[in-house]
Amino acid sequence: MVVASISGCATVGDQEGAAAGVAARLLSAVEAGDGDAACAALAPETAKSVAEDEPCPEAILDKSLPRPGQVVETSVYGQWAQVKLTDDTIFLAAFPEGWRVVAAGCTPQASRPYDCSVEGD
Amino acid sequence: MKRFLRENGIGLVFGVLFLIVLVGQAFAGLAQFNDAQRASGLPDIAFWRYVTSASFGVDVAENWQSEYLQFFLFIILTVWLLQKGSPESKSLDKPGRETDKEQKVGPYATPESPKWAGAGGWRTSLYSNSLGLVMGLIFAGSWLAQSIAGVAAFNEEQLSERQDPVSWGQYLLEADFWNRTLQNWQSELLAVASMAILAIFLRQRGSSQSKPVGSPHDATGVEG
Repeated sequence: MVVASISGCATVGDQEGAAAGVAARLLSAVEAGDGDAACAALAPETAKSVAEDEPCPEAILDKSLPRPGQVVETSVYGQWAQVKLTDDTIFLAAFPEGWRVVAAGCTPQASRPYDCSVEGD
Repeated sequence: MKRFLRENGIGLVFGVLFLIVLVGQAFAGLAQFNDAQRASGLPDIAFWRYVTSASFGVDVAENWQSEYLQFFLFIILTVWLLQKGSPESKSLDKPGRETDKEQKVGPYATPESPKWAGAGGWRTSLYSNSLGLVMGLIFAGSWLAQSIAGVAAFNEEQLSERQDPVSWGQYLLEADFWNRTLQNWQSELLAVASMAILAIFLRQRGSSQSKPVGSPHDATGVEG
Protein backbone atom coordinates (compact mmCIF):
# COMPACT_ATOMS: atom_id res chain seq x y z
CA MET A 1 0.00 0.00 0.00
CA VAL A 2 0.95 3.55 -0.59
CA VAL A 3 2.10 6.65 0.97
CA ALA A 4 3.95 9.36 2.77
CA SER A 5 6.63 8.47 5.19
CA ILE A 6 6.81 8.60 8.94
CA SER A 7 10.52 9.05 8.95
CA GLY A 8 12.10 10.64 5.94
CA CYS A 9 13.51 7.56 4.24
CA ALA A 10 11.55 4.63 5.68
CA THR A 11 9.96 2.61 2.88
CA VAL A 12 6.28 1.73 2.88
CA GLY A 13 7.27 -1.88 3.59
CA ASP A 14 9.33 -0.76 6.63
CA GLN A 15 6.38 1.23 7.93
CA GLU A 16 3.94 -1.62 7.44
CA GLY A 17 6.29 -3.93 9.28
CA ALA A 18 6.76 -1.44 12.11
CA ALA A 19 3.02 -0.84 12.48
CA ALA A 20 2.27 -4.58 12.44
CA GLY A 21 5.04 -5.08 15.02
CA VAL A 22 3.49 -2.59 17.46
CA ALA A 23 0.02 -4.11 16.97
CA ALA A 24 1.40 -7.59 17.70
CA ARG A 25 3.31 -6.23 20.71
CA LEU A 26 0.08 -4.92 22.24
CA LEU A 27 -1.78 -8.21 21.88
CA SER A 28 1.21 -10.30 23.00
CA ALA A 29 1.65 -8.13 26.09
CA VAL A 30 -2.05 -8.50 26.96
CA GLU A 31 -1.84 -12.28 26.45
CA ALA A 32 1.23 -12.40 28.74
CA GLY A 33 -0.59 -10.31 31.36
CA ASP A 34 2.00 -7.53 31.03
CA GLY A 35 -0.19 -4.43 31.34
CA ASP A 36 2.74 -2.02 31.46
CA ALA A 37 4.07 -3.24 28.11
CA ALA A 38 0.57 -3.19 26.62
CA CYS A 39 -0.04 0.40 27.73
CA ALA A 40 3.36 1.43 26.34
CA ALA A 41 2.06 0.47 22.89
CA LEU A 42 -0.97 2.77 23.20
CA ALA A 43 -1.25 6.39 21.98
CA PRO A 44 -1.43 8.87 24.90
CA GLU A 45 -5.12 9.73 24.37
CA THR A 46 -6.03 6.04 24.12
CA ALA A 47 -4.07 5.15 27.28
CA LYS A 48 -5.82 8.03 29.08
CA SER A 49 -9.23 6.80 27.98
CA VAL A 50 -8.45 3.20 29.03
CA ALA A 51 -7.30 4.47 32.45
CA GLU A 52 -10.59 6.23 33.18
CA ASP A 53 -11.63 4.01 36.11
CA GLU A 54 -8.47 2.14 37.04
CA PRO A 55 -4.77 2.39 36.10
CA CYS A 56 -4.07 1.60 32.44
CA PRO A 57 -1.90 -1.51 33.11
CA GLU A 58 -4.79 -3.12 34.94
CA ALA A 59 -7.63 -1.80 32.80
CA ILE A 60 -6.10 -2.87 29.48
CA LEU A 61 -6.05 -6.50 30.63
CA ASP A 62 -9.83 -6.38 31.19
CA LYS A 63 -10.67 -5.16 27.67
CA SER A 64 -11.14 -8.67 26.24
CA LEU A 65 -8.60 -8.12 23.48
CA PRO A 66 -8.09 -11.26 21.36
CA ARG A 67 -4.90 -13.31 21.32
CA PRO A 68 -2.28 -12.22 18.79
CA GLY A 69 -3.01 -13.92 15.48
CA GLN A 70 -1.53 -13.80 12.03
CA VAL A 71 -1.20 -10.43 10.31
CA VAL A 72 -3.56 -10.62 7.34
CA GLU A 73 -3.07 -7.13 5.86
CA THR A 74 -1.37 -3.87 6.80
CA SER A 75 -2.24 -0.50 5.26
CA VAL A 76 -0.25 2.67 5.83
CA TYR A 77 -1.53 6.06 4.66
CA GLY A 78 0.28 9.17 5.86
CA GLN A 79 0.03 9.42 9.62
CA TRP A 80 -2.30 6.42 9.97
CA ALA A 81 -2.07 2.64 9.74
CA GLN A 82 -4.45 -0.27 9.96
CA VAL A 83 -3.34 -3.78 10.84
CA LYS A 84 -5.78 -6.59 10.18
CA LEU A 85 -5.07 -9.76 12.16
CA THR A 86 -6.96 -13.03 12.09
CA ASP A 87 -9.04 -12.07 15.15
CA ASP A 88 -8.68 -8.29 15.45
CA THR A 89 -8.30 -5.05 13.55
CA ILE A 90 -6.01 -2.39 15.04
CA PHE A 91 -5.64 1.27 14.08
CA LEU A 92 -2.37 3.09 14.71
CA ALA A 93 -1.06 6.65 14.34
CA ALA A 94 2.46 8.00 13.86
CA PHE A 95 4.28 9.58 16.79
CA PRO A 96 7.87 10.83 17.02
CA GLU A 97 8.80 7.62 18.85
CA GLY A 98 7.04 5.40 16.26
CA TRP A 99 3.61 3.84 15.71
CA ARG A 100 1.21 3.78 18.64
CA VAL A 101 -2.15 2.01 18.88
CA VAL A 102 -5.10 4.39 18.71
CA ALA A 103 -7.83 1.73 18.64
CA ALA A 104 -7.86 -2.04 19.16
CA GLY A 105 -10.37 -4.81 19.57
CA CYS A 106 -12.18 -3.43 16.54
CA THR A 107 -14.94 -5.25 14.70
CA PRO A 108 -16.32 -4.08 11.36
CA GLN A 109 -19.85 -2.75 10.99
CA ALA A 110 -21.55 -2.43 7.63
CA SER A 111 -20.99 1.09 6.14
CA ARG A 112 -20.06 2.45 9.57
CA PRO A 113 -16.82 2.91 11.51
CA TYR A 114 -15.39 -0.12 13.29
CA ASP A 115 -16.65 -0.71 16.83
CA CYS A 116 -13.55 -0.78 19.06
CA SER A 117 -13.26 -1.98 22.67
CA VAL A 118 -10.10 0.13 23.16
CA GLU A 119 -9.92 3.66 21.75
CA GLY A 120 -9.43 7.30 22.70
CA ASP A 121 -12.31 9.70 23.33
CA MET B 1 18.01 42.85 -18.48
CA LYS B 2 15.46 45.68 -18.35
CA ARG B 3 14.37 44.82 -21.85
CA PHE B 4 14.07 41.13 -20.97
CA LEU B 5 11.83 41.95 -18.00
CA ARG B 6 9.68 44.27 -20.11
CA GLU B 7 9.27 41.69 -22.87
CA ASN B 8 8.49 38.80 -20.52
CA GLY B 9 6.41 40.51 -17.88
CA ILE B 10 3.33 38.29 -18.11
CA GLY B 11 5.19 35.00 -17.71
CA LEU B 12 7.54 36.33 -15.04
CA VAL B 13 4.94 38.08 -12.87
CA PHE B 14 2.45 35.22 -13.00
CA GLY B 15 5.26 32.69 -12.41
CA VAL B 16 6.49 34.54 -9.32
CA LEU B 17 2.95 35.08 -8.00
CA PHE B 18 2.29 31.35 -8.52
CA LEU B 19 5.28 30.41 -6.36
CA ILE B 20 4.38 32.90 -3.61
CA VAL B 21 0.79 31.69 -3.49
CA LEU B 22 1.82 28.01 -3.59
CA VAL B 23 4.07 28.58 -0.55
CA GLY B 24 1.19 30.41 1.15
CA GLN B 25 -1.11 27.48 0.42
CA ALA B 26 1.47 25.10 1.90
CA PHE B 27 1.64 27.04 5.18
CA ALA B 28 -2.15 27.43 5.43
CA GLY B 29 -2.63 23.75 4.60
CA LEU B 30 -0.04 22.73 7.19
CA ALA B 31 -1.81 24.78 9.87
CA GLN B 32 -5.14 23.16 8.98
CA PHE B 33 -3.59 19.68 8.90
CA ASN B 34 -1.98 20.18 12.31
CA ASP B 35 -5.26 21.48 13.76
CA ALA B 36 -6.81 18.15 12.77
CA GLN B 37 -3.82 16.26 14.18
CA ARG B 38 -4.17 18.00 17.56
CA ALA B 39 -7.92 17.37 17.62
CA SER B 40 -7.13 13.65 17.29
CA GLY B 41 -4.49 13.83 20.05
CA LEU B 42 -1.68 13.41 17.54
CA PRO B 43 1.58 15.36 17.18
CA ASP B 44 2.11 18.16 14.65
CA ILE B 45 3.93 17.26 11.46
CA ALA B 46 6.79 19.28 9.97
CA PHE B 47 6.51 21.55 6.92
CA TRP B 48 8.48 19.28 4.59
CA ARG B 49 6.49 16.24 5.60
CA TYR B 50 3.29 18.15 4.82
CA VAL B 51 4.40 19.37 1.38
CA THR B 52 5.25 15.78 0.42
CA SER B 53 1.95 14.46 1.79
CA ALA B 54 -1.02 13.17 -0.18
CA SER B 55 -3.16 15.81 1.50
CA PHE B 56 -1.15 18.69 0.00
CA GLY B 57 -0.75 16.83 -3.29
CA VAL B 58 -4.46 16.37 -3.87
CA ASP B 59 -5.25 19.98 -2.93
CA VAL B 60 -2.71 21.22 -5.50
CA ALA B 61 -3.54 18.74 -8.25
CA GLU B 62 -7.30 19.21 -8.12
CA ASN B 63 -6.87 22.90 -8.93
CA TRP B 64 -4.23 22.34 -11.57
CA GLN B 65 -6.31 19.82 -13.51
CA SER B 66 -9.30 22.14 -13.67
CA GLU B 67 -7.23 25.11 -14.84
CA TYR B 68 -5.66 23.08 -17.63
CA LEU B 69 -9.05 21.60 -18.54
CA GLN B 70 -10.39 25.13 -18.83
CA PHE B 71 -7.63 26.20 -21.20
CA PHE B 72 -7.79 22.93 -23.13
CA LEU B 73 -11.53 23.30 -23.74
CA PHE B 74 -11.23 26.97 -24.51
CA ILE B 75 -8.47 26.38 -27.05
CA ILE B 76 -10.24 23.48 -28.77
CA LEU B 77 -13.86 24.68 -28.70
CA THR B 78 -13.07 28.19 -29.90
CA VAL B 79 -11.89 26.65 -33.17
CA TRP B 80 -15.59 26.16 -33.97
CA LEU B 81 -17.62 28.11 -31.39
CA LEU B 82 -18.09 31.84 -31.86
CA GLN B 83 -19.43 34.60 -29.62
CA LYS B 84 -20.69 37.70 -31.36
CA GLY B 85 -19.11 40.83 -29.92
CA SER B 86 -16.59 38.99 -27.75
CA PRO B 87 -12.84 39.57 -28.01
CA GLU B 88 -12.48 35.91 -26.96
CA SER B 89 -14.03 34.81 -30.26
CA LYS B 90 -12.73 34.79 -33.81
CA SER B 91 -14.65 36.88 -36.32
CA LEU B 92 -17.98 35.33 -37.24
CA ASP B 93 -16.93 34.35 -40.79
CA LYS B 94 -14.07 32.13 -39.64
CA PRO B 95 -15.43 29.11 -37.79
CA GLY B 96 -13.39 25.93 -38.10
CA ARG B 97 -9.73 25.17 -38.74
CA GLU B 98 -9.40 27.78 -41.53
CA THR B 99 -7.44 27.40 -44.75
CA ASP B 100 -3.73 26.59 -45.02
CA LYS B 101 -3.25 30.05 -46.46
CA GLU B 102 -4.92 31.74 -43.50
CA GLN B 103 -2.94 29.56 -41.09
CA LYS B 104 0.34 29.99 -42.98
CA VAL B 105 1.11 26.28 -43.12
CA GLY B 106 2.70 24.06 -45.76
CA PRO B 107 3.46 26.03 -48.93
CA TYR B 108 2.05 29.18 -47.33
CA ALA B 109 4.56 29.24 -44.49
CA THR B 110 6.73 32.34 -44.45
CA PRO B 111 10.47 32.49 -43.73
CA GLU B 112 9.58 33.67 -40.22
CA SER B 113 7.15 30.77 -39.60
CA PRO B 114 8.14 28.04 -37.12
CA LYS B 115 9.99 25.28 -38.97
CA TRP B 116 7.32 22.59 -38.54
CA ALA B 117 4.58 24.92 -39.87
CA GLY B 118 6.12 24.59 -43.32
CA ALA B 119 7.49 21.04 -43.02
CA GLY B 120 4.27 19.31 -44.14
CA GLY B 121 3.09 15.81 -43.17
CA TRP B 122 2.85 14.64 -39.55
CA ARG B 123 5.12 17.40 -38.27
CA THR B 124 2.80 20.17 -39.48
CA SER B 125 -0.25 18.22 -38.25
CA LEU B 126 1.32 17.75 -34.82
CA TYR B 127 2.51 21.34 -34.58
CA SER B 128 -0.90 22.60 -35.74
CA ASN B 129 -2.46 20.94 -32.68
CA SER B 130 0.40 21.23 -30.22
CA LEU B 131 -1.11 23.85 -27.90
CA GLY B 132 -4.34 21.95 -27.31
CA LEU B 133 -2.45 18.66 -27.13
CA VAL B 134 -0.04 19.82 -24.44
CA MET B 135 -2.78 21.51 -22.40
CA GLY B 136 -4.86 18.33 -22.69
CA LEU B 137 -1.95 16.14 -21.61
CA ILE B 138 -1.19 18.36 -18.60
CA PHE B 139 -4.89 18.23 -17.69
CA ALA B 140 -4.95 14.42 -17.94
CA GLY B 141 -1.72 14.11 -15.94
CA SER B 142 -2.95 16.48 -13.22
CA TRP B 143 -6.27 14.68 -12.98
CA LEU B 144 -4.48 11.35 -12.68
CA ALA B 145 -2.22 12.87 -10.00
CA GLN B 146 -5.33 14.15 -8.19
CA SER B 147 -6.79 10.65 -8.18
CA ILE B 148 -3.58 9.05 -6.89
CA ALA B 149 -2.92 11.64 -4.17
CA GLY B 150 -6.66 11.75 -3.52
CA VAL B 151 -7.02 8.06 -2.73
CA ALA B 152 -4.10 8.26 -0.30
CA ALA B 153 -5.48 11.37 1.44
CA PHE B 154 -8.97 9.83 1.48
CA ASN B 155 -7.64 6.63 3.01
CA GLU B 156 -5.74 8.58 5.67
CA GLU B 157 -9.06 10.12 6.64
CA GLN B 158 -10.80 6.74 6.46
CA LEU B 159 -8.29 5.22 8.90
CA SER B 160 -8.56 8.22 11.25
CA GLU B 161 -12.32 7.55 11.33
CA ARG B 162 -11.80 3.79 11.97
CA GLN B 163 -12.94 2.80 8.49
CA ASP B 164 -11.37 0.56 5.86
CA PRO B 165 -9.24 2.11 3.09
CA VAL B 166 -10.41 1.84 -0.53
CA SER B 167 -8.55 0.92 -3.72
CA TRP B 168 -7.76 3.45 -6.46
CA GLY B 169 -10.54 1.99 -8.61
CA GLN B 170 -13.06 2.28 -5.78
CA TYR B 171 -11.93 5.83 -5.09
CA LEU B 172 -12.82 6.86 -8.65
CA LEU B 173 -16.43 6.08 -7.72
CA GLU B 174 -16.26 7.88 -4.35
CA ALA B 175 -18.12 11.14 -3.75
CA ASP B 176 -14.87 12.71 -2.50
CA PHE B 177 -13.20 12.33 -5.92
CA TRP B 178 -16.15 13.73 -7.85
CA ASN B 179 -16.86 16.51 -5.37
CA ARG B 180 -13.25 17.70 -5.60
CA THR B 181 -13.36 17.41 -9.41
CA LEU B 182 -16.72 18.99 -10.15
CA GLN B 183 -16.42 21.89 -7.70
CA ASN B 184 -13.34 22.98 -9.64
CA TRP B 185 -14.79 22.35 -13.08
CA GLN B 186 -17.93 24.39 -12.46
CA SER B 187 -15.95 27.44 -11.35
CA GLU B 188 -13.65 27.29 -14.37
CA LEU B 189 -16.55 26.97 -16.80
CA LEU B 190 -18.36 29.88 -15.14
CA ALA B 191 -15.21 32.02 -15.40
CA VAL B 192 -14.85 31.31 -19.15
CA ALA B 193 -18.52 31.98 -19.87
CA SER B 194 -18.41 35.22 -17.83
CA MET B 195 -15.27 36.43 -19.57
CA ALA B 196 -16.64 35.71 -23.04
CA ILE B 197 -19.96 37.44 -22.32
CA LEU B 198 -18.89 40.38 -20.12
CA ALA B 199 -16.16 41.37 -22.56
CA ILE B 200 -18.85 42.03 -25.18
CA PHE B 201 -20.19 44.97 -23.18
CA LEU B 202 -17.41 45.97 -20.78
CA ARG B 203 -13.94 47.33 -21.52
CA GLN B 204 -10.54 47.48 -19.85
CA ARG B 205 -8.54 50.17 -21.54
CA GLY B 206 -5.19 48.88 -22.75
CA SER B 207 -5.79 45.22 -21.90
CA SER B 208 -5.08 42.54 -24.48
CA GLN B 209 -8.17 40.76 -23.18
CA SER B 210 -10.53 43.64 -23.97
CA LYS B 211 -11.72 45.36 -27.10
CA PRO B 212 -10.64 48.98 -27.46
CA VAL B 213 -12.91 51.16 -25.32
CA GLY B 214 -14.57 52.74 -28.32
CA SER B 215 -15.24 49.49 -30.19
CA PRO B 216 -18.93 48.74 -30.78
CA HIS B 217 -20.53 45.90 -28.80
CA ASP B 218 -21.03 43.80 -31.91
CA ALA B 219 -17.41 44.00 -33.10
CA THR B 220 -16.14 40.41 -32.94
CA GLY B 221 -12.60 39.09 -32.94
CA VAL B 222 -11.08 42.43 -32.02
CA GLU B 223 -8.53 42.73 -29.21
CA GLY B 224 -7.17 45.89 -27.68
